[in-house]
Amino acid sequence: MTGVVVAPMLVALVTAVVTLLLRRRVRTRVVVSVAGGLGYALAVAALCWQVVLAPDAPGIATYQVGDWPAPYGITLVADGLSAFMLAMVATVAVAATVFSARYVPSSERRTFYHPLFHFLLLGVTGSFLTGDLFNLFVWFEVMLMSSYVFVAFYGGPLHTRAAFWYVSLNLVASAVFLVAVGGLYATVGTLNMADMARRLAEPAAYGIDARPTVGLLALLLSVFALKAGLVPFQFWIPTAYRAAPPPVTALLAAASKKVGIYAIVRVSFTVFADAAVVVRLPWIEPTTPLAFVGAVLFVMATGSILVGGLGAIDRDSIEGVLAYSSIGQVGFIAVPVAIAATTTAPELRRFAILAALVYALNHSLAKGLLFLAAGTVRHATGTIYFDGLGGLARHFPTLSGTFLLGALSLVGIPPLSGFFGKFLVFDAAVRADASAVIALLLVGSLLTIAYATRAWNRGFWGARSPAVEDATIDPVQVAVLVALALVILAVGVGFDPIYRFADAAAGAALDAETYVDAVAPRGGESG
Amino acid sequence: MRTTARAIVPIILVVSISLFVEGHNLPGGGFIGGVLTTTAFAIIYVTFGLDFLERGVFGRDPDAELRPTRERVVDVYRRVFAVGLAIAVTSGLAPLVLGYPFLSQSFVVLEGVPLYDHLEVASALAFDFGVYCVVVGGLLTILSVVGAE
Repeated sequence: MTGVVVAPMLVALVTAVVTLLLRRRVRTRVVVSVAGGLGYALAVAALCWQVVLAPDAPGIATYQVGDWPAPYGITLVADGLSAFMLAMVATVAVAATVFSARYVPSSERRTFYHPLFHFLLLGVTGSFLTGDLFNLFVWFEVMLMSSYVFVAFYGGPLHTRAAFWYVSLNLVASAVFLVAVGGLYATVGTLNMADMARRLAEPAAYGIDARPTVGLLALLLSVFALKAGLVPFQFWIPTAYRAAPPPVTALLAAASKKVGIYAIVRVSFTVFADAAVVVRLPWIEPTTPLAFVGAVLFVMATGSILVGGLGAIDRDSIEGVLAYSSIGQVGFIAVPVAIAATTTAPELRRFAILAALVYALNHSLAKGLLFLAAGTVRHATGTIYFDGLGGLARHFPTLSGTFLLGALSLVGIPPLSGFFGKFLVFDAAVRADASAVIALLLVGSLLTIAYATRAWNRGFWGARSPAVEDATIDPVQVAVLVALALVILAVGVGFDPIYRFADAAAGAALDAETYVDAVAPRGGESG
Repeated sequence: MRTTARAIVPIILVVSISLFVEGHNLPGGGFIGGVLTTTAFAIIYVTFGLDFLERGVFGRDPDAELRPTRERVVDVYRRVFAVGLAIAVTSGLAPLVLGYPFLSQSFVVLEGVPLYDHLEVASALAFDFGVYCVVVGGLLTILSVVGAE
């Protein structure tokens, strides 16, 4: 039973190593890579079914790596939240793997594409599953190491500059993360998240002075916000997303970003939810760590929605629009998380997390589809700049249809998955009775409509450019796009099971008690 | 410089291997052993030049036309890296086959081994050997490719 928890990680790890060993056999390597992607999806499906979806599912499962007991060993925890995130990532990962097989030429220089792709997936999976704060840091690094190479993948001036920015920024972030983890260990005396939650809930019983944890939580929050690309940490996104190969960008937008969101939710709501710590800041009356997180997140989300939306309007390329749109969309995910953190009503809190998760799902699917579509356009025409494009809709109706569907899902048109995402986020804001938030969401939605329309008009309508005229399109790439588009449609039409899954995930995110009991860290002595 | 290198390179190699062997329960391990082995090679590179291994070990004249990334030595380093990774992963997977959790370890103590008297053979050694190969392969690839530029 518990083997399923570790299975997705092992599939990704083994695939990465096998593709690395198959350096000379190019075709076998691609086959192994695609098989690994499918195997990953199967492993994730098994995990979701056994842990959350099956009628007699326990809702949470743990795995002690190397049989070392918690809190000394590394615990892997799969609960509803992890399972939901994994299912979301697996869908996009399969699409991106198949797409890569057709997109990335298999020259000598591209030898490391497939191993790194699966290492990136491994890092994402590990981050979702780990129940240990230091281990989270390690998985972040695994994820980052692979993405560094991908950002510099094409080796041109643009890519080198983007990679330089990306690497230096993330090195600083990693250092901050490490300082925060070290500080928490020094203060609380444990790195296991369940143990930490237990100790922070009653610091006196464990002889802890928990006051420093507030500052450390703020440090963690800034690191996670950087990964998620929330304002003011958004500036690396446009260059990095345009520099990386499109299938990888799809995975970065769909998975790595969500790791940031996941980490915020996990650390705030599982570890710090019951923390008996008072946040004292100048000019503000004493409050709980959660309310503090909520306030900070709300400011960040506001900035993200405005910067992302306004930035996306006047970009000169499809990928530029999509990259800026990613910043704005993460703001939309952060708003309900902020609502959940500020409110004290348990039902609203659960509902707001649910809204954030559904929105995250929609963003992953739609943005994955759009980035892959941009990749197809680039592959076919050799350009993604609006100046060189035009008339794609007439020439490639299927490709354009999937792009339109993805864009409409971002805007939030029924019956696509985006409708429910937007609807639930607005509903959460209405239930929270926050008119400023509703106004912000309205402005953000209008901006989304504006930039999506503009991208469609400039790239897909109008007179056919010479680049479009001469283009030939890859049928497999289009098939992947159509499959993803159908998934978006299916999620929107058959929304009920998704809602129940997301509800279970939201419940799991808030149920710190079950989390602690499942991990069952030993040792009640003072740290 | 050459005389010193001849004397210290074997010593470094022996120390690095001893660090690697006792790594499972004493200070040491695959990583630090690998780094130390690499420094021995780095000394060879600094003293005898980048082509020494190509000529001395493989007995071939390095082709000036070939790009450094395609040389035989670098290729060997890369293979060591990949194989090391495979060993480490396999050693982690082996307990799964035997019905224990991922990465479980165990050890046996061999008595009456010549010179050592008793020797602990830990299953962690296999994992450590993988790490050792990864470190040696990775660092030497970087050293020789970057060094050639």
